[in-house]
Amino acid sequence: MVKTQMSGAVSSMLNCRACSLVLVLAALGGCGGASVSVPALFPVPLVDRIPLPMGLHLDESLTGYVHAEELEEQGEWEIDLGSAQTQMFQNLLSGMFDSVYPVANPAEPGGEVAGVLVPNISEVQFSTPLQTRSDYFEVWVRYRFQLYGRDGELLGEWPLTAYGKADEDNYGLQSREPALQAAAVAACRDAMAFFTVQFRTVPEVRQWLLTEAGEPSR
Amino acid sequence: MIRRHQPALATGCLLYLMLASGCVTSTVQQVRESATGMTETESVVVLSRKTRPSQEETEADFVRCISKSMGGGKQRVNVVAEQEFRDALFPWFEPRTAPVNASDLPELISQPELAERLASLGLRYLIWVDGDTDRTDSSGSLTCSVTATGAGCFGFLTWEMDSGYEAQVWDVRSGNLAGRVSSEAVGTSYMPAVIVPLPFIAPVRSSACSSLAQQLKSFVLNEG
Repeated sequence: MVKTQMSGAVSSMLNCRACSLVLVLAALGGCGGASVSVPALFPVPLVDRIPLPMGLHLDESLTGYVHAEELEEQGEWEIDLGSAQTQMFQNLLSGMFDSVYPVANPAEPGGEVAGVLVPNISEVQFSTPLQTRSDYFEVWVRYRFQLYGRDGELLGEWPLTAYGKADEDNYGLQSREPALQAAAVAACRDAMAFFTVQFRTVPEVRQWLLTEAGEPSR
Repeated sequence: MIRRHQPALATGCLLYLMLASGCVTSTVQQVRESATGMTETESVVVLSRKTRPSQEETEADFVRCISKSMGGGKQRVNVVAEQEFRDALFPWFEPRTAPVNASDLPELISQPELAERLASLGLRYLIWVDGDTDRTDSSGSLTCSVTATGAGCFGFLTWEMDSGYEAQVWDVRSGNLAGRVSSEAVGTSYMPAVIVPLPFIAPVRSSACSSLAQQLKSFVLNEG
């Protein structure tokens, strides 16, 4: 005979998602973790465009970036960020500049562009609701940007840390993968938003804009 | 055999559905700061606060419920979907960049690109929704057993849910706070079990949604 008693523990009785998760986990032999990919669907920033042709160099270390991590008693987790980066930076720069050109080698950009942006991901971290005892999946992405001039000289580099979170309660019974994916998407959007508002304030960028576009700092 | 029991079964189900909801008490309050009103071509958007790194976010389905309720029924209001709005105005309504106070709005909409996009959406009011629904109390006990001859539960559970939401209405045209509408709802749910548990669920969040949406609708149409 199997007997279960719930005393004052309404939560355990009512939290159907938790019950379902237990059943699903039991059915799957207790395996955990998740594997998600960020969909390449991003808006174009609505800002005053910088009247310059801009180069964009995306390294394979960025476009193939996958964060994999094994968490104690939570299995293996994987976030594929790289496959969305091309569209993300294409949309970002096409909203910020007059025109955007792919550049194979930032040290030799050719005469077409006023500068070349080289983004890279230097670190990714994430947390699960179980770790933080909350309802939220959270993702942090640390980017590192380099700006090359029209002659291929490195003008400056700066970091940017983006953050995204997603409430697992918004994603139904099987919330693990969609919530983690939503948190990763939110982090990418945050990176785009942060880059948009921060770009003109980076000292090296301000100097470059003054030289190339005669644009005073804002 | 089954067909003979169908009317009784249907009546039983109907009776249960009629009775199977706990009691909900809801109150709505409104503070008007300025006159409102909308034309048929104007629209509103309902947005949730996604402040970081707060762990208290308004439920996504509550915001969708408000949008849907305002966009339906009698005297429907044109409602722009939240995601469509955030994408169209990207990056100005992201968690990092969204205006915190109505007083931030005039500077933001002074950007020609933004003003033009807002005009193309016909946006008249921004409605920021803040709050959530929590379980505040619970008691009782329930025991379930499974044997070779069958299974069953015995006991009684009760729990209370509390909803508290506030909506700020920003007038995009004037760049001012037009007013605030808040909704509180409290409800107690029960689950007696004699072999089979029968939940009597109080629809606290949906009550809060319908009362808040109704009041918001009359607020922006200047009926209340």
